[in-house]
Amino acid sequence: MELFVNLVINGLATGMLIFLLAAGLTLIFGLMDVLNFAHGGLFVWGAYAGIFTYVFTESFLIGIVGAVLTGALLGLITEKLIITPVYGNHIQQILITLGLMLVLQELIKVVFGPNGVAVKTPSYLTGSWEIGDVIIIKYRVFIIVVGFIIFGIFQYMLKKTKIGLVVRAGVQDKEMAQALGIHIKRVFLYVFMVGAALAALSGMLMAPYSGVIYAEMGMEYAILGFIVVVIGGMGSFSGSLLAAILVGLAGSFMAYYVPVLSLAVNMILMAVVLIFRPQGLFAMRKERST
Amino acid sequence: MKNKLSLKYVGFFLMLAILVLLPFVNDSRTLIILLTQIFIFGILAMSYDILLGYTGIVSFGHAMFFGIGAYTSAVMLKQLEPTLSTFLISIVVGILLAGFISFLVGLLTLRLKSHFFAMLTLAFSGLFLVVAEKWRSVTYGNDGFTFRAPEIFRDRMTFYFFVLACLVVIFLALYRFVNSPTGRILIAVRENEQRTKSLGYNTLHYKVIASIVAGTVASLAGSLYAVSLRFVNTSVMTMDITLDALLMTIIGGVGTLVGPLLGSAVIEYAQHALSGLARDYPIFERWIIFFGILYILAVIFFPKGIIGSLRLMFWKWRLKHKEKDQTSVGPSQEKERFE
Repeated sequence: MELFVNLVINGLATGMLIFLLAAGLTLIFGLMDVLNFAHGGLFVWGAYAGIFTYVFTESFLIGIVGAVLTGALLGLITEKLIITPVYGNHIQQILITLGLMLVLQELIKVVFGPNGVAVKTPSYLTGSWEIGDVIIIKYRVFIIVVGFIIFGIFQYMLKKTKIGLVVRAGVQDKEMAQALGIHIKRVFLYVFMVGAALAALSGMLMAPYSGVIYAEMGMEYAILGFIVVVIGGMGSFSGSLLAAILVGLAGSFMAYYVPVLSLAVNMILMAVVLIFRPQGLFAMRKERST
Repeated sequence: MKNKLSLKYVGFFLMLAILVLLPFVNDSRTLIILLTQIFIFGILAMSYDILLGYTGIVSFGHAMFFGIGAYTSAVMLKQLEPTLSTFLISIVVGILLAGFISFLVGLLTLRLKSHFFAMLTLAFSGLFLVVAEKWRSVTYGNDGFTFRAPEIFRDRMTFYFFVLACLVVIFLALYRFVNSPTGRILIAVRENEQRTKSLGYNTLHYKVIASIVAGTVASLAGSLYAVSLRFVNTSVMTMDITLDALLMTIIGGVGTLVGPLLGSAVIEYAQHALSGLARDYPIFERWIIFFGILYILAVIFFPKGIIGSLRLMFWKWRLKHKEKDQTSVGPSQEKERFE
């Protein structure tokens, strides 16, 4: 029982972090038709900038704010300089965002050094609760709560507010939204910045969870993010939450029971989904022409 | 047209003559090793260009085939006797293995659109990396293993000529391939897949052919690479190898065969030179950052790379030149020239 609860909490926490990463990817893809291979770079920059602020100010909250702002700023620069010149050309987008990923990852090593940085969990989030004979680690619960709060906020924004309406309209039909007088390029920019900020937040929350941050973690988690986006269906926000939880749980259970397969299980999952159901497991009814 | 063709031959033979004679003029060990490395990665980059430049598909899993070749040769040379015939057989085995796997993977994935294909190849090469890491009894995991190269390749010079011969053969074979009817259809797929389909070609069929050709040639490059180091570990399967091939192709020039070779020379040399500089200026340890920036700029401003840009300039110049001589240049003629 104890083992089961722990594995579930572990899987959920990892799933939530991947969800934050994938949410930005899927929104950007759904709206802009751009698959951002540099998302992992934004993730790792969020982690480093956030931890830097956290160590400097000794406040975890300010650290999170720092990470989110860094992410948004990088998102702004990326959209303006890198994405805008290659709209509509898929191959160039893939190539150029991968190049940016390379640069972001190497810049981390230039600025913060090539070795990993150890990260401490803030004191009020360390330790664990004991319920009966089940031990629950506080920080994991914190991640799950934050993940669900963010999901709630975004779901509300997308479904109930004017901004969400514009974004959803853009996902459904760009030309039509433009014809109705929406400045679609500006919406692109904002969505990209929000996606980047979410990636950075995910990186920041990941740092105390894994205990150490290093430049290559961007690519590792970005691959998980892609897998989630594919399984959940490109452009589907709630699909990415379900897929992220699935990937997180699969990872944590596999790591315990069949450790050899734990790295491969998600890739196999993605390959199977892509081959048999390329639109994603939880895709919307609407057929996307991508 | 005749004139241009002979110019090409002169260039080819001149380059070949220089590369054959070079070791006799200057037999410095570092130079020979560097050139061998350039040739090996040149073969890899050319094979990558069959996919990227000629067929217009971005694969992130090219390291998988390179790794298959490297591990096949390394394992066979370690388990069996390290003779030349073992090595040659291992090259063939690697090529067959890579061909079979690229056929399977291609058949499964090439139906998908570019985004999905890129991600799926990333996942497949990730799977192979995991296999190489976990199958410790054969691959020794991340630590890798050393093995003995065939007696005849102990001498760096012999190996240099062997790799050079491989390069020339592969170059000529690929040159024939891209200029064959099949190669022309691949270019048509790159330009407009929908239209090629409606002309009655089964594009999936041709894309799988391209993937098999690229995979087998990459496997050969991997075999040569393993023997050049006499050591193999999981780094031959990592994303870095794919990125190197990608950088070389983009910087040298997509859609040409000389471009990737030039790109390989530029990148390998710069890597060599910059790692020398790194002892004095630590910033050069992160040499890849310069290439990353260069690469981004190349994608935005010179999507055709060094060779492609030069070629475009040459055609434009020639067009201008010709216009002076004969005032009317028909649009059909003009189009022919740009091909």
